[in-house]
Amino acid sequence: MELRVTESTDTELSIEIAGEDHTFMNVLKGALLEHENVSAATYDVNPEQSGGQTEPILTIKTEGGVDPLEALEDAAVNVREKAISFREAFEAAA
Amino acid sequence: MTEEYDVEFVERGEREARFLVRGVTPGFANGIRRAMLADVPTMAIDTVRFVENSSVMFDEQLALRLGLVPLTTPPEGEFGEDETVTLSIDVEGPATAYSGDLVSNDELVQPADQNVPIIDLKDDQRLEAEADAVVDYGKDHAKHQGGVAVGYRHLQQVEVVGDLPEFEDEESRIVRGVIEDNGELVPTSEFDHDLSNRYPGKEVEVEDVPNAFVFHVETDGSFSVEELVTRAADSIESRATELEDAVQL
Repeated sequence: MELRVTESTDTELSIEIAGEDHTFMNVLKGALLEHENVSAATYDVNPEQSGGQTEPILTIKTEGGVDPLEALEDAAVNVREKAISFREAFEAAA
Repeated sequence: MTEEYDVEFVERGEREARFLVRGVTPGFANGIRRAMLADVPTMAIDTVRFVENSSVMFDEQLALRLGLVPLTTPPEGEFGEDETVTLSIDVEGPATAYSGDLVSNDELVQPADQNVPIIDLKDDQRLEAEADAVVDYGKDHAKHQGGVAVGYRHLQQVEVVGDLPEFEDEESRIVRGVIEDNGELVPTSEFDHDLSNRYPGKEVEVEDVPNAFVFHVETDGSFSVEELVTRAADSIESRATELEDAVQL
């Protein structure tokens, strides 16, 4: 997973997350939108054959003086915890 | 802020299972589903060396068929990305070459089913070949897909709201999936997917239960349902961890 920041201000961040697809990006976007200081989060992916920009680009807008990169880190932690607790719940039932 | 999930099995078998997950968002459910299809690697034949092929099909066609034979996949960590397992096949006509005729050099990697036909051989036709199986992802080729029928549906809550008018013809009411009736989980196949069989003469209301999804998971025999689901969750977890580390730098 390679990250490349394409745009960055105090409240807005666009970042390319190479090698990922909808599987992870949509879950990550969902986690970002649950973050209370994130006012907008979205991602854009182009089809592989379209040429040009085909890696997903994630855009985050924050409020309340929170660094978007920090919000992204929180969301990553959140996704990790969700995956772990899902696996634990599944193993408990299995 | 940890989510509390609740998992309950409705039906379970080695290769096929149905389980209910409560407290899951549609987005996360879809992430798990996609990860099961594309991001859990399995073994499959990738290279074939033909010693003799006097059958009616070209080498390439048979190589594709061999590739599509599901192979049991050893637990994570047993095999590296570029390690291979060799399987050989030698069948002489008149006979049908089946997946069960493949002889593996590794105990852990075997054809998951013995009865997948590869080719029908007539008199004096022979197939002798050696094949290398590798681990790869469903993303790269469908033969590496461990889950073959993976999906989810909302859990549906059924409530009896009254009686139908006495002399009215009863209309069938079809639902598919799993319903919840007073806390009891009932697969719709139990009443032929028709609510009028289960609640004759009653008027019922059906509603989706928010954030409760019933997953239906079927594997190709590469591994058990449990392994497929846990490894899909692991794959999402490892990507989140990777992103976390990358952001911290």
